[in-house]
Amino acid sequence: MLVGITLENKQINSMKPIECADEMSGYLRLVAQDRCKRSFSKIFNYFAPRLRSYALKQMGNDALAMEMVQDTMSNVWQKSHLFNSEKGSPSTWIFTIARNIRFDMLRKQRNRKEDVCSDDLWPILCEQTADVNEVSLDHQVTMDEIGLLFESLPEKQKLVIEAIYIDGKSQQEVADELDIPLGTVKSRTRLALQRLKEMVQDDD
Amino acid sequence: MISFHPKYIDLQAFSAGNCEPAMALMISAHVDMCAQCQQDCIEIQADLAGELFAEQAIIKPLDSDYLEMMSNITQLPIAKSPVAQASNASIELDGKFFELPRALRRQVKNTGNWSRLVGKIWQAPVNLGGIGKANFMYMEKGGRVPEHTHKGTEMTLVIDGQYGDGIAEYDCGDFTVMNNQHKHLPHSEADDGCLVFTIVDQPLHFTAGIARLLNPFSHLFFK
Repeated sequence: MLVGITLENKQINSMKPIECADEMSGYLRLVAQDRCKRSFSKIFNYFAPRLRSYALKQMGNDALAMEMVQDTMSNVWQKSHLFNSEKGSPSTWIFTIARNIRFDMLRKQRNRKEDVCSDDLWPILCEQTADVNEVSLDHQVTMDEIGLLFESLPEKQKLVIEAIYIDGKSQQEVADELDIPLGTVKSRTRLALQRLKEMVQDDD
Repeated sequence: MISFHPKYIDLQAFSAGNCEPAMALMISAHVDMCAQCQQDCIEIQADLAGELFAEQAIIKPLDSDYLEMMSNITQLPIAKSPVAQASNASIELDGKFFELPRALRRQVKNTGNWSRLVGKIWQAPVNLGGIGKANFMYMEKGGRVPEHTHKGTEMTLVIDGQYGDGIAEYDCGDFTVMNNQHKHLPHSEADDGCLVFTIVDQPLHFTAGIARLLNPFSHLFFK
């Protein structure tokens, strides 16, 4: 895919981002102000190949990697006016764009239907204030309520349920104690739970 | 005062974009509420960016594919400045409004009706499309969830108010992850009760007394 490979090393390519942050910030400013293509090409030259090797590792596929590079650099071109050098370096800004694009690409690729996209997860930071209003509500306590439902069970089912769920006995122990067949204990338990389930659903 | 934060390693994964979506949503909402984790994420991002772009490997000069890409890009129009999203910033329960952290606001439209679970506990399901069972849960003052453990993991973020669970006391913004190692009994004594956002990957398992009756159908409650 790569043609015209030479080992000519442009000076800017060997600089660390920390060293070229000011320079890159300057280019971004010119892109934002004047749509300066020359400045953009400086940014592109530095970041695009590095983004590609990151993208290749992440996506494992050259076509997808190039798509990721293209989307990221398109965002840089189109949103340069949103870059704020006081909030971070150009490389951090471009990294976050690439990360978000990758997240959404993977999401699309896996055909995930969930409604969580990169915009939700990584916003421009904003502040929060809670708004609390007075309210008074009066309802029953959990245990009281379950207790009431329990009380409404037929006596025979109640005995079985009490022994199993409150005293923690096994079904066999209950059968022995009450001198009834194991099968009867099982069916009473099942019926009682069924009934409780219906009552809880009706209660909703 | 926030005392419970995501693990640093999870903040790193979140910042790198490598978190599971459910955890990422939780962390994002916590970060909205927590200046400390916000700062941590900013620093982690800067470190990741530094590592990523500092690569000293020989970078090949741009080939024709790149040049074509670049010229296509510079044809594109400038993007409009983002407009504040019109999505609902709060949820309502019985006339009481709760402002949500930004990350959860888009979920308001995916939130179902409130229903009373048991006693003073209310629940509204949030459809996240299969990444986990999410709910807003509201405990009225004096409300208790029966003691339970978790078969899977339960992530909880306090949105408003305070609650305790026999292990610790949690305040607005606190983030916890519970699994089957933890047995807890959430209850709120706050005058305004407590609203939390939870994501569970499996139903709860009740451990004590008569609430064990709930186990066979706990999936009905804690979806």
